[in-house]
Amino acid sequence: MGRKRRLSWAVLVDGRSIWTRNACPKVSQYGESLRRFQGVEHRRWDPTRSKLGAALARARHTQYDLLPDEGSTCLYLGAGHGTSLSHIHDQVCGTDNQLAGRIIAVDLSPRCLRDLIHMAKIRPGLVPILGDARKFSTWGVMVSTKVDWLFQDVSQAGQAEIFIDAANRFLKPGGKGLLSLKAASERWSGEGERVVFEGVAQQLLDAGFTIEEQINLHGLEDNHCLFYITN
Amino acid sequence: MWLWYDWRAAAVADDRGNILDIDEWSGWGDLDRLCARLDMVSHQAITPEVEVLLSRFPDAQVRIHGDPDLPDADWPLPSIEALQCLDKAAILISKRGVDAAAGDPDRRLEHILRASDELRAAYITIEGRLVEWVGLFLPEARFEQDRAGLAASVVDSNNLEELAQVLEIGMPERGPTDMEWDSLADWATSVCEIKNRLETMEEVVRELGANHLPSLSALLGPILASRLCVEAHGRARLARLPAGTMQILGAEKAFFNHLKTGAPPPKHGHIFMHPWVSRSPRWIRGKISRMLAAKATIAVRCDEFGGQLWDEEAIAVIADKVEFIREEYPYPPQR
Repeated sequence: MGRKRRLSWAVLVDGRSIWTRNACPKVSQYGESLRRFQGVEHRRWDPTRSKLGAALARARHTQYDLLPDEGSTCLYLGAGHGTSLSHIHDQVCGTDNQLAGRIIAVDLSPRCLRDLIHMAKIRPGLVPILGDARKFSTWGVMVSTKVDWLFQDVSQAGQAEIFIDAANRFLKPGGKGLLSLKAASERWSGEGERVVFEGVAQQLLDAGFTIEEQINLHGLEDNHCLFYITN
Repeated sequence: MWLWYDWRAAAVADDRGNILDIDEWSGWGDLDRLCARLDMVSHQAITPEVEVLLSRFPDAQVRIHGDPDLPDADWPLPSIEALQCLDKAAILISKRGVDAAAGDPDRRLEHILRASDELRAAYITIEGRLVEWVGLFLPEARFEQDRAGLAASVVDSNNLEELAQVLEIGMPERGPTDMEWDSLADWATSVCEIKNRLETMEEVVRELGANHLPSLSALLGPILASRLCVEAHGRARLARLPAGTMQILGAEKAFFNHLKTGAPPPKHGHIFMHPWVSRSPRWIRGKISRMLAAKATIAVRCDEFGGQLWDEEAIAVIADKVEFIREEYPYPPQR
């Protein structure tokens, strides 16, 4: 047993591993291990499969701030199969959405949405939307209020521009925004990923955001960097 | 003056953000009507509330909720109950979108084509084993003439002797035990079964391909047309490819090797499977595949963008052209 500490009401760090309080007891969402801590079931957050998990593992001084508050409204662009999303749901909504949180998850692929819709059935508070993260006009109407927390993981060219637009459009003043940047998706200048990351950091600063921390996910998720910003 | 609206309400405010008028829609309790409403707004159509307010304030500028032009104001945002209905409707709309994906011929074609490819790979391995297996016991047997009929003959025979009679050859001294022969016959049964299944499957590919890509199928045959479509990840993307890409689709390894090391570029990808290319002499295959790829891009564009479908006549013109190229270069180029 390692040294345990809590990042939030639902998230627990035990030595090197991260665990979240399972909102759907006995259900393992993507084959992660389940374990009881003081009688409450937790799911292991695999940092090699979730960029947000990797960021939590790698963050130096913002570990306690990265996650959304319980009961807040969140927007997740590029939800994929819902690996990170299920842990966010544990934190924001809890069992049967007792905390009255709202997570809007947008993804382009019908295949991924199939899994997300299935997940939404057992995890109320989760709203999967089939749509292109770049085209706000087609799904923006379903995000009726501004959000407290914005996460983007879309792996396509122009990630920073999409993120800046999305943050301006959907993020509440004082909200938190997280951009998971895949260097290989941007135009490759031949000077390496560090140059790409620096360019994006400058873009974010120019757009008027404050970069709280730039977390390099090297080793857990290669060629990726996670920017944590506030507006 | 600004006219703000979202899926549930519309409001007019002046430039300082003082609300002048509000019109709200109360029908959001009905899930189907709400879905229809969301669909309308997401297609940039204006709602009845907007029309009502626009008739009262004709010079107001219409902006959807969240638009950066709008001034800060106390817009009539939805209540918690309305938001819960919105969430339900959003999930329903996503579900419908996912259901609609089953109607996408690109995805259906991909599954059936890949499945038949996998089945064919399996067929080749187990059929090869059958021929070797029988050949071990009957060294005199030759299967060059009737390789396909071997599985059926094995299934029909009760033992090795009967099979030897069917194949009209002598019996060797050593044969398999009864149990061993049963396993061999079982193996032959599965060869037959897989063959039948494969034929049915390829028939389905032909049918789907011919429906989805009529002109391209007329030019290249439905299976090759489907293969190109799957390789390009859908008809919409295939129709937007340049002819040069169409020509080497399926030869990515050789092509990137060419870019990397300067090796000679590939002359053909999947398009090589067409007899006009594969049955032509080596030195004109590049010319024919280049011409054929150019024609294929036109054909698939006719399919995708609703052009006139290609008939026999159009194909005959291209066949003449192939013949012309063949006649023009009867001999390999001199070194």
